[in-house]
Amino acid sequence: MRSILIISVFILISANSFAQALLSGKVTDSQNNPLPGANVFIQNSYDGTTSDSIGNFSFKTSQKGIQNLSASFIGYKPFLRKLDLDSSKTITLNIVLLESDDQIDEVVINAGSFEASDEKKAVVLRVFDIATTPSAQGDIFGALGTLPGVQKVGEDGRVFVRGGEGYETKTFMDGMLVASPYTSKMPDMPSRGRFSPLLFSGTLFSTGAYSAEYGQALSSIVDMKTNSIETEEQSSLSVMTVGLMGSTTRCRKNSSLSLSGDLLTTALSNKINRQQVDWTKSPVTADGTIMFRQKAGETGLYKLFGTFNTSSSGMIYPNIQTGTNQDILLNSSNIYLNNTYNSQLGEKWMMKSGLAFNYDHQNIDLDKDRIITNQKMVQAKIGFSCFLNEQTELKFGADWVNFSYEQKIRMDGNFRLPFTNNELSGFAEMEYKLTKKFATRLGFRAENSSLLNGTTIVPRFSGAYKTGDHSQISLACGEFYQNPENDYLKFAPQLKPEKANHAVMTWQYLTELKTFRVEGYLKKYNNLVKFTEQMTTNPLDYNNLGTGHAEGVDIFWRDKETFKLTDYWISYSWINARRNYKDYTMAAVPTFVSEHNLSVVYKRFLPVLNTYASLTYSFASSRPYHDPNLSGFMNAKTQQYNDISLSLTYMLNFFGKQSALHLMLNNVAGFDNVYGYNFSNTPNAAGKYESTPIRSPFVRQAILVLNIML
Amino acid sequence: MKKSIFILALLLLSSAGFANEAYQKAMSQSIEKLFQAKTIPEYVEVANQFERISQIEKAEWLPLYYASFAYIMISFQEAENTKKDLYLDLAQKYLDQAMAIEANESELFMLQGFLYPSRINIDPINRGMALVGKMNAALDKSLELNPDNPRVYYLRATMTANMPEAFGGGAAKALPLYQKAAEKFQSFKPKTELSPNWGKEMNDAELGKIMESIAK
Repeated sequence: MRSILIISVFILISANSFAQALLSGKVTDSQNNPLPGANVFIQNSYDGTTSDSIGNFSFKTSQKGIQNLSASFIGYKPFLRKLDLDSSKTITLNIVLLESDDQIDEVVINAGSFEASDEKKAVVLRVFDIATTPSAQGDIFGALGTLPGVQKVGEDGRVFVRGGEGYETKTFMDGMLVASPYTSKMPDMPSRGRFSPLLFSGTLFSTGAYSAEYGQALSSIVDMKTNSIETEEQSSLSVMTVGLMGSTTRCRKNSSLSLSGDLLTTALSNKINRQQVDWTKSPVTADGTIMFRQKAGETGLYKLFGTFNTSSSGMIYPNIQTGTNQDILLNSSNIYLNNTYNSQLGEKWMMKSGLAFNYDHQNIDLDKDRIITNQKMVQAKIGFSCFLNEQTELKFGADWVNFSYEQKIRMDGNFRLPFTNNELSGFAEMEYKLTKKFATRLGFRAENSSLLNGTTIVPRFSGAYKTGDHSQISLACGEFYQNPENDYLKFAPQLKPEKANHAVMTWQYLTELKTFRVEGYLKKYNNLVKFTEQMTTNPLDYNNLGTGHAEGVDIFWRDKETFKLTDYWISYSWINARRNYKDYTMAAVPTFVSEHNLSVVYKRFLPVLNTYASLTYSFASSRPYHDPNLSGFMNAKTQQYNDISLSLTYMLNFFGKQSALHLMLNNVAGFDNVYGYNFSNTPNAAGKYESTPIRSPFVRQAILVLNIML
Repeated sequence: MKKSIFILALLLLSSAGFANEAYQKAMSQSIEKLFQAKTIPEYVEVANQFERISQIEKAEWLPLYYASFAYIMISFQEAENTKKDLYLDLAQKYLDQAMAIEANESELFMLQGFLYPSRINIDPINRGMALVGKMNAALDKSLELNPDNPRVYYLRATMTANMPEAFGGGAAKALPLYQKAAEKFQSFKPKTELSPNWGKEMNDAELGKIMESIAK
């Protein structure tokens, strides 16, 4: 018995050691170039080798029967082949590895869009760039102003893109609509974005011809991606000349919770920085934000974002139109809730769903009059994407927005202007990669509005072709609809949606550290709202007969390589735009358009001073305005706009805590920028219409922030 | 019959022993090769070996640890930034897999701290602020799990040495840190024969250089 066992053991061992198969061959790419360094092995065994300098490999294996041969190499898709090791003692095979899709040199459809991200390697802007661009003062929309295609409109603060008005840029968060992304504004003073750039890990900014997923935006979209699950617990406190800010983050294995809040008052800051405004109540703002993330299963992620904001301010507004000094008091509050749940469904399907809610309340006391505006939005959205095969991705989805608006006016009597709109939309889009060098995307979007009582169906198309290792040419075009602004709809709900057509062509050169982009575009507007008199209450005075066009060239250059510890970018835009809309008497360059816009952003780390310094120079050529004292329409031009802003960040140890001291200086050279003029409605005794210039609330501004990591 | 069961049991035991022995042997050979490697192809070859071991020994974090380490070493030699990032992606992938096996291992957090500087160097001005914090957090966690991990002390000393003097760095500031690391290396005993046990020579070399420059 014993001997039989021993013998059988010997047989087993010897079978193992003597019956080895020899595998050899060559590893190449699809162009037959040898790939040295590839890992070639029999799965679930130690048997394998690395391909040599000319791609050859050869190894012995003692494995038996049907086995999986695996080959892998960085930047290539893994290779797997079943082999019958019993069939022959020597097996020769050539392995062809295909390049993986996530390679940097693959064509990407991107005409008209800028992406800021922390995840993708080669992007134009990072979120950190936004937070440290001096002219932006920590405002996302301000930072977008340093990109080409964006007009400098200092008295407004919103994003004006390529001959489009501020309202034509729509803001989204994780794909969900943000109905009121800007803070409420006083007349002729800029508003800011409500959200801190630090809450986001990426921003998609498209200046035209965007995907069918986005609707109800005539000119541009900004889609901000909120941070994923936080993995680091930390708390911080900021003491600023404009208030206090604090935040804390707690993490669990599959979830994280972040809370932040601030109390901002410009009382001190308005004393430091000489004001050109007569404040009766310095602006005070309180914000609270909650972010909760929960992983669900293998691929599911639930995100909750909630923010609450309340603010109040008061000023004396010298209203030249009526010739009186008005006492204005503004109180506003805003709640925004955003829930999204994304998950993979099987191997090929992805689902994105969301529910968003926005409530915005604004109360303006104008001398003895009062205007209350309430806006409420509920949005539900669902979208699916499916990888039909390696080359084809199909996306489709549906979106429902319920928007109700109510304005109550107490002014020589009580008035109420309400309206409600249900907007139901659907989209489908297919992206097809013909080759690694050539991709196209075709989509359609349908929108139905209950208030405007109509359905629109629009096509979107884009394509991109790779012209070199780092360069590509892209083309995109499409039709876009957007409902008229609330200020018109409240008087005239019979209006139709406004319409724009975009065509964009881009050439781009992109490496990890250098970007060059030149983009040309054509834009045509139809159905723009037109009326005979501003704020007329007669619905019949409003129509959709307005038209317009814009064409231009945008150039962007960014270089992080040439100068040591230095990063700079230059944006230049040339635009030619005309509009005949609102109460215009003829087609003219609109007041918010300047033909030339230039931004230079320069950032440098100064190791000797332990300081991170950023400098922005902005230039815009003169803007047109209408002077009733002269003949003709839009007959005068403002002076040019110039601004130099500086920010310094000094890293220090503050009582043993890692801290940073930020100093932000706006308009350090003290340029007296005039954005336009307001004219009196009636001429004075000498028959002249008097005017006042529209300026920034301050000439120069300095803000100091001490940020302490607790 | 009893006897045959005994033999069968013995046989099973010994075959388990063989498997373990094969792992020990493959690992010790590969580790030796890893620390002899000088060129990128040599590192790739040994990284491939560790990858092959890891796909059999699914419960072991060490093969993944060394594969990750090899790719970090490659990233130091690679000149092209895009490729550097690809190598570091791979290093991170293996490190993540290792962390999934062993969530509380000081050496894995140390390796995470060792990976970040290479990422930062590709684009210091933009990545620095975001990643320095993460790097420090990884090293803190590593020390929390093993306050005597000499590699953490060595890495901190090196970073101090490479920092400008105005920033609180420089050779003079780094000297006591290297000395402290040397002490830690002196008393360090790896958990097993295959456990991470590198860095002593590098630390001694750096220490020697500083001592020499001071002597001048």
